[in-house]
Amino acid sequence: MKDQRTGKRLHPAILDAQSALRQGRISRREFMRFATLLGASVATATALAACGPAAPTEAPTEAPTEGAAPETSTPAGSVGGIKRGGTLRKAMQLQRIDHPARMSWVEAANVVRQVAEYLTVTGPDNITRPYLLESWEASDDVQTWTLNLRKGITFNNGDELTADDVIFTFSQWLDEDVGSSMLGLISYWGGIENVEKVDDYTIRLHLESPNIAVPEHLFHYPAVILHRDFEGDFIKQPVGTGAFTLAEYAEGERAVLKRREDYWRMGEDGQPLPYLDEIIYVAIDKDAAVAAIQSGQIDSIYQPRPSDWLALKDIPGIAVHSASTAQCFLVRVRVDLEPWDDNRVRTALKKCQDREKILQLSYFGEGDLSIDAHVAPVHPEYCEQPIPPYDPEGARALLEEYAAEKGIELPLKVTLATKNDEAEPEIAQALKELAEPAGFDIALDITEPNGYWDRWTEVDLGITAWTHRPLGIMVLPLAYIADEEGNPVPWNETRWVDEEFTTLLRKAERTLDVEARREIMCDLETIMQERGPIGNSYWKKVWNITREEFKNVVAHPTSYDLLYEVWKDA
Amino acid sequence: MARFIFRSVISTIVTMFLVSLALFLLVEVGSGDITVKILGVFATPEQRASYRAQLGLDQPWYIRYLDWLVGNDWRVRSRIGHPLVAVPNPQTKELEWWAQVDGQLVRWEMREGHLFALVRQPDGSVLEQPADDQWQQTPEGKEIFWGVNTKNSAVKWVRGEGEEVYVLTSAGMRKEGDGPQQYIPLRKGLLRGDPGTSLQTGRPVSVTLFPRVRNTAILAGMAFVVVMPLALILGIIAGINEGRLVDRAISVSSLALTATPEFVTGVFLILIFGIWLKIVPAVSVFLSDRAIFENPQLLILPILTLTAVELGYIVRMTRASMVEVMNAPYIRTAILKGLPYWQVVLRHAVRNALMAPITVIMLHVNWLVGGIVVVEAVFGFPGLGSYIFDSAIFGDFNAIEAAAMLLVSIAVFTRLVGDLLYTFLNPRIRYS
Repeated sequence: MKDQRTGKRLHPAILDAQSALRQGRISRREFMRFATLLGASVATATALAACGPAAPTEAPTEAPTEGAAPETSTPAGSVGGIKRGGTLRKAMQLQRIDHPARMSWVEAANVVRQVAEYLTVTGPDNITRPYLLESWEASDDVQTWTLNLRKGITFNNGDELTADDVIFTFSQWLDEDVGSSMLGLISYWGGIENVEKVDDYTIRLHLESPNIAVPEHLFHYPAVILHRDFEGDFIKQPVGTGAFTLAEYAEGERAVLKRREDYWRMGEDGQPLPYLDEIIYVAIDKDAAVAAIQSGQIDSIYQPRPSDWLALKDIPGIAVHSASTAQCFLVRVRVDLEPWDDNRVRTALKKCQDREKILQLSYFGEGDLSIDAHVAPVHPEYCEQPIPPYDPEGARALLEEYAAEKGIELPLKVTLATKNDEAEPEIAQALKELAEPAGFDIALDITEPNGYWDRWTEVDLGITAWTHRPLGIMVLPLAYIADEEGNPVPWNETRWVDEEFTTLLRKAERTLDVEARREIMCDLETIMQERGPIGNSYWKKVWNITREEFKNVVAHPTSYDLLYEVWKDA
Repeated sequence: MARFIFRSVISTIVTMFLVSLALFLLVEVGSGDITVKILGVFATPEQRASYRAQLGLDQPWYIRYLDWLVGNDWRVRSRIGHPLVAVPNPQTKELEWWAQVDGQLVRWEMREGHLFALVRQPDGSVLEQPADDQWQQTPEGKEIFWGVNTKNSAVKWVRGEGEEVYVLTSAGMRKEGDGPQQYIPLRKGLLRGDPGTSLQTGRPVSVTLFPRVRNTAILAGMAFVVVMPLALILGIIAGINEGRLVDRAISVSSLALTATPEFVTGVFLILIFGIWLKIVPAVSVFLSDRAIFENPQLLILPILTLTAVELGYIVRMTRASMVEVMNAPYIRTAILKGLPYWQVVLRHAVRNALMAPITVIMLHVNWLVGGIVVVEAVFGFPGLGSYIFDSAIFGDFNAIEAAAMLLVSIAVFTRLVGDLLYTFLNPRIRYS
C-alpha cells in the first residue's frame, strides 16, 4: 500500500495498526500518532483512520484527559476571521544563546524556534509529524530511516534548504567540542559516518541500534536546523528557515522578532504565515509579569507557576489554556545505599503517598494522579493501572519487619533532599507528615535549585523534577538501566538496574506496534511498582496564560511557543 | 584641600583593589561549577572539562585575577611571537583579537589536521591560506603551534594529537583531535578599560552593564531630585514647628511611610494605579532599549515607591537636627537680637542643621544606585541592583567585579562630595 499523498510505501505496521483500530483495540488518536510516527503523512493517516470503524471507540474528544480538550478544538470564529498584524509581548527569561545545539533552556529555544525550524514537530496533542521533512520512512527493523526533505524552503538569507544543511547540523550535534545535549540523546546513531546523503533532499540514517523515537528526537529543543555556513553564534548569525527574523537579542533584557515576508507555510488566507508582525520577549521577574499582564503591558507569561495560575485564572480578559504532560516530581531513592537497598523500605515509602492530598497541597489539584512508574497517561504506550491507595498501616508493617530484622528502632530517620522550586518543598512537607504514622522520621534538606542540581544524582533520598518526553520508551532508558559495562547510565540517579526490566525495555524499544508495546509496558510498570526506586504522585499540567485577544493559542506540554498561527483579534 | 583630595584618591585606590580581590575570592569560593549554568545540568563531564578549558578556568585563580586586572596579551605575546591587537569587528563593533604578522592581521584555524591562516583584508573580509609550514618542532618531537583562534583565545594546537582521528563524511565538520590543547582567552584587563566578557551572557560586560547603569542612574537621579528637596523642606518645617500639629502630621505620616517596606508600598501602588485605575504603567516593561526615554511614565511608580521609603528617614533626621539647632543658645540670641525669624532659620539654623542629613543623603546615593534590588524586583525594573544580583547567583565573576567596582567608585565619589559639602556648610572643617 502506498501513501496517497507522497506515493511512498507505507510501513506494514501501519496496516496492522489500522486493523487494530478497526477492531476497536486502539483509539483513533493512538492510530494517528502511530501512523505518523512511521512516516505516513497526516492526510494519509486521517484517511486510513476514516477507513476504520464507525466507532464507539471514537470518542468525540480524542484527548485522553479533559485538560487537553480546549486547545485541540479550534477557537470559535477563527476560521475565515483571521486578522493579520499586531505584536505579541511575552514575559520570559532570556539566557545566553550562542550555539543552538548547545541550548540548555527551553526559553532560549523558544526564541530560536521562531527563527529556525525543526525537521519534525510534536504537537500539543503529543503526535509527531514531519515538518521540514516531507515524510520519513523506517525500515522494518527500524534501523534504517530515510528522511525526505521538503523542497523549496528558503533560509532567511535566501539560500535554499538542502541535505547539506541538515547533515551539517547533525555533525554539529555529534561534535564533542560543541557540547550539545543531542550527542547523548542520539548516541544510537553511532556517529556522523552513519549519516548518508542520498541526494540533495534525501538523507538516510543507518542507526547503530534500532530506535523508534527518531522523529521525536528530531524535535528535541536544541535540534533546530542550521545553515551550512553557521559558525557558532546564533545571535551574530541568526539564519534559519523560520517565519520570523531576529531583530534584537539582549540577554536578560529582551528579544525582538520581526515577521518575515517569504516564509514557506501559508496561512488560511492564502498568504504566507505568520499572522503576527512582531514578537517581543521581555525578561522580567515572574511577579512583575503577573502585574504586567493584568495591566495590559504584556500579553503572555512563559511557564506560569502555580501561584501565577492562581492569581490570573479568574481575571477577565485573560485566557488560561492547559495541557496534560509527562512532567513529574519523582520521590526517588538510591538503591545502592541503606536503607533503600531493601525493597520493603522502598515499598513502605511509596505506600505513604496520599496522592490526591499531595496533588492538592503542592499543585492545587492541577494534575493527573500517577502510579509509581515513570510512564504517563499521555504516552501512547501507557498501560492503565489502578492508582495505589494511601496505606500507612501496610507501610508500617513492612518497616517493622525490616527494623526487627536489622535490630533497629523505629522511627527510621532519613533525610529528604530537594530544591526550593515549583512544588517540591510542598511535596516534601506533605510526605514528611504522611509518612510519620508509618514509622519514617523524614528530615528535610531543601536548597536552592542550583544547589540541588549540583548533587541530584548523589543524594540518597530526593525529589527530582523530570521533564516531559513524548514517548514512554524515551524516558526509561535514560534513568533505569545500566550501560554496556554494567554501570548505571549517567542519569540513573537511583542506581536501580533490574535485569528483567532491562530485557523487557530493550524489547519495547524495538516494538513498533503500539498495542504490543503497551503489553510490554504493563509488565514494565508492574515491575517498577513492585520493586522500582521511585514514587510518583502525579503528572503536572502546564498552563499557557495569554490575553484573550490572541487566538489559536495552544498550551504545549513542554512549554514550547508555537506562535506562527497565532493571530490578534484587535 | 589638595592634600585632602590626594588622600581620598589614594585610599580609594587601595579600597578598590581590596574589594576586587575580596570579591574575586568570594565568587571563587561561593559559586559552584559555572559550566552547570552554561551547559545545563545534563552535559557530560568531558564536555564540561572542555568548556572550562575554553573559558580559561583551568588556570589558577591568581593568574585569572591578574588577567582580569592587567590583561594577558603581553604575557601571551611571547608564545605566539607576534604582537596581539584588539580591533573592532566591522559589523558588530565588538573587539576581536588578531596577531600582527608583517603588518597583516592574522588568526588561525585547524581543520581536518591542517592549519589555516586567516588573513584579514583591508575591507574587513578574510582570506584563507594554508599554514602547515608554521608548525614548530618541540624537543620531544611534537609539532605544536601557538596562535589566535577565531574565538579570541590564544590557543595551542598539537599536530595529530588527540583522540583517534576519524574521517567525517560531511563537509566542514571538525575532527576530533583538531581542538586546541590549551586555551588562554585574551583580554586587556580592567586597568586598560576592558572589564572582560560576561559568562552569563557571553557578551562584553561593558555592553550589558551600560544600559543597566543608565536605567538605574535615571531612576536614582529622578528619585533623588524628588525626595531630597521634599524631605529637607518637610523636615525643616517640622523642626521649626516642634510639637505643633503640623510637626505631628509630618512626623507620623513620614514614620508610617518609612515603616512600610518597599515591597508592600510597591505592590499597593501597582494594584491601585496600575491594575485598578490603569492610569500609569504598573511595572517596568522595557519593550525597547530606549523605553525609558520613549515612555517615561514607566518611572512614576518606582519613583513614588522610593520616595515613600526614603522620605520619612530623611525628614525625621532633618527634623531632629533642626530641633536641636533651634534650641541652641545662638539661635535664641539671634532671635532676641531682633533678627527676622525666617532670616534666623535660613541663615543660621538650616546650615548647621543640615550637617547630619547630608551624611545620610550621601550614603543613600549609593544605596539608590546599587541597593534597590527589592524595588527593582517588584517592578521588574532592569537596573544595576538586579544585574548584580543575577550575576552573583550565576557566579559571573567579570560582571560582578565590573559592577562592584562601579559601585565602589560611586561610594567613594559621593563621600568626597559629602566632605566638600561639609566644608562649605561648616567653615571650621576648612581650616582644620
